[in-house]
Amino acid sequence: MAIATPPTPTAAERMHLLETMWEGRPGILGWFTTTDHKKIGLLYFWTTLLLFGAGGAEALTMRTQLAVPNAHVVSPSTYDELFSLHGITMIFFFIIPMTTGAFGNYLLPLMIGARDMAFPRMNALSYWIFLWSGIFLYISFALGVAPNAGWFDYVPLANGHYDPGRNIDFYCLAIIFNGISSTLTAAQFIVTIFKSRAPGMSFNRMPLFCFAFLAASAGLLFALPLLTADTIFLFLDRNVGTHFFDVASGGSAFLWQHLFWMFGHPEVYILIVPAFGIATEIIPAFTQRRVTAFPLVAIAELLVVFIGFGVWAHHMYATGMATITAVFFGAATAMVVIPSTIQVFAWCMTMILGTARFKTPLLFIAGFIFMFVMGGLTGIMFVAIPFDQAVTDTYFIIAHFHYIIFGAAVFPIFGGMYYWFPKVTGKLYFELPGQISFWILFVGTNLLFFPMHIVGLLGMPRRQYTYPANLGWESYNLAETIGGYITAAGILLLLGNLFVSYFRGEEAGPDPWHGATLEWTTTSPPPPYNYAVIPKVSSAYANWDEEDRAEDRRKLATGVLVLQEGHEQVAVTPVDGTLDEIVEMPHDSPWPALLGLSLFLVFSMLVIGKYGVAGCFAIGCVLSLFGWHSKEPQE
Amino acid sequence: MTDYIAGGRRLEDVPKTTKATGVPAVQYAVARRTGPPAAWWGMLMLISSEGVLFAAMMGTFFYLRFNDPQWPPKGDPEPKFIIPLIMVAVLSTTSPMMQGAWRAAREGRLMMVRGLLFLALIVQSGYFAYEVTDFGHEIQKTPISNDAYTSAHYVLLAADHAHVFVGILFNLWLIWKFSRGITTYRANALQAITLYWHFVVLLTWAVIGTILSAAVG
Repeated sequence: MAIATPPTPTAAERMHLLETMWEGRPGILGWFTTTDHKKIGLLYFWTTLLLFGAGGAEALTMRTQLAVPNAHVVSPSTYDELFSLHGITMIFFFIIPMTTGAFGNYLLPLMIGARDMAFPRMNALSYWIFLWSGIFLYISFALGVAPNAGWFDYVPLANGHYDPGRNIDFYCLAIIFNGISSTLTAAQFIVTIFKSRAPGMSFNRMPLFCFAFLAASAGLLFALPLLTADTIFLFLDRNVGTHFFDVASGGSAFLWQHLFWMFGHPEVYILIVPAFGIATEIIPAFTQRRVTAFPLVAIAELLVVFIGFGVWAHHMYATGMATITAVFFGAATAMVVIPSTIQVFAWCMTMILGTARFKTPLLFIAGFIFMFVMGGLTGIMFVAIPFDQAVTDTYFIIAHFHYIIFGAAVFPIFGGMYYWFPKVTGKLYFELPGQISFWILFVGTNLLFFPMHIVGLLGMPRRQYTYPANLGWESYNLAETIGGYITAAGILLLLGNLFVSYFRGEEAGPDPWHGATLEWTTTSPPPPYNYAVIPKVSSAYANWDEEDRAEDRRKLATGVLVLQEGHEQVAVTPVDGTLDEIVEMPHDSPWPALLGLSLFLVFSMLVIGKYGVAGCFAIGCVLSLFGWHSKEPQE
Repeated sequence: MTDYIAGGRRLEDVPKTTKATGVPAVQYAVARRTGPPAAWWGMLMLISSEGVLFAAMMGTFFYLRFNDPQWPPKGDPEPKFIIPLIMVAVLSTTSPMMQGAWRAAREGRLMMVRGLLFLALIVQSGYFAYEVTDFGHEIQKTPISNDAYTSAHYVLLAADHAHVFVGILFNLWLIWKFSRGITTYRANALQAITLYWHFVVLLTWAVIGTILSAAVG
């Protein structure tokens, strides 16, 4: 059954027809060939969760190493690999793919009333490339040649002279490989938002979640190529003999930093803006109130990413840049406060003016706001350039960005897991363990990261393998390590709760929270075709528009916009959302998985310097693409 | 109700575009559509991303130049002017050909589509063959590993040639597809690839301009 209200017999027949039309292949093969955005979202979810486990294990090992002075839990070189892999994994292989890949894939088409993404096979390809790029990265760890120059991989430390192994080659190629996936995802999201919305969903009627994902996708699309160029240059410097970063031959070590941070700072917003989107869905649901200052929040979500492109050099104050340049970037950095504060005020005012029910998802959002403000306040301190120069490369920086990246980006992910769990599984989670998991995580996270501010101000450098006793750092480091283990316990409780709830939770029904957006109008879990009728939309809070929902039920009975004659989806005009055409969507396909595998083989050969063999596999990629397009959607 | 969702049109008049096969159906479907298809938007996203990649490469070229007292460094030859400009002018003639092919597809003139695509393919392939040969000769005389200038010069040029090569593959695929008749899917692909090709031509002008700038000042 596809919608909440019991259907008429005619409606049931229509839904059965849609079911047979949209249902994918059963079994394991079905997962390999699926183009269903929900299944792809789940594939992303499980894969990123696994990689989150790896990144978390790396973090815990580092914290164990640092718990007491002069420890030797791991060797210095292993420690280098651990902090490098931890950063790369959490940023490129957990937060981005968890937000855009898992949440975005599963929810975005549902929220805009679409039956699938604009390019379903390309969507599948994004996942397979992501999976193989993760495997590629962790093969390096298994072989003992994991990246070891930090996630920022500064030259000259990362050049062939100082780091002659394959470690950095794995870094460069893993980043490029993963970047292809993220670029495809970003392009996919933007086009889906532009073209696949339900008719009537003009831009001003689009949920804030979608604005956030639009902003993050645009950020990815324009920021990632900068890192790609950077890593291509480094790979060529190391393997072909170019001199982009070789000062003696006319290159520049700063070039790496400029390109890296031109990508790296927008990246911070790419990480947290989807979290803003999650917050803007959870808050209305648990306050039963529309978000205050909706247009300003929508603009702020876009603006924060846009301004993020103009602040990169604040990561480079210690490089000796001209004062006027530093001041310019300091001022630009201060501007980020404006859109950020607009959003914080809007979230807080919505909670204050509405009737807030502090269920687990909203608790995580409250925790997120606290962490975001904490991280934001220390971020503003960096506008004071001498202060920034004093704390550069200390644990103060680690504290700041973990409040942002873990507190502000990951807490909403946890909140979102609880919030949409009933939609994805059809079951309710257990509330009390949920709330306990929040408090454990909140305490653990603050115990883990807050002392880092102090130890940073005391002068403890980041990326420090160990430290001598009697510097006054011991108790802080021990507290941080205890905080790390408490955080891990909180995460395990969260996952355990969801796992048990999946088997023993109560039936959730289609809309347990009286959520605001369209996904709550369909069954939990949603059917393969998402909506039996392409829904009517008159506001950004479509599920609260009772008349529109009643009209959908009438349309199902009469067959208007059921699109039951094929594997069809509507396409609209980009701004005002007027119905423009009805397009036939592709069915399941093995080609994306095969193309992903071919690309993995190409990158594997490149990393070991077998360029001819890589070329042969590249021909395989081209043939896969020809195979992919040999059958057209309507055939 | 139906008027509202279809923007003033009856729902029956909204084209089922990708279902359309054959000249009259495709002509009708494409004419009824008010904006570009998703494929065109997808290509726009791709070229936006590629545009940033090239901006980074060209920016690198100038960044290194302005940090270097002599550019090109002593011992490296100055870039040639005449032939690259002639070649890029020749390549530019393929842009109207591709645009013409898309226009012919919209009007249902299938033979014209095939002819223009084939003509464009010949010019594109000729350009590519010459450029690859020239690249090979140049890199033998002045290796990429000479200095930062040669590094930036060859990488920029190679990246541009790679994009021309991808365009040729696209064109081959289009010729194969249109040899089997016309569908909206193919027309959409042609529209998107035409956009890509305009981008490649613009990119080539920008790359050649960047490279030739080394001979100025």
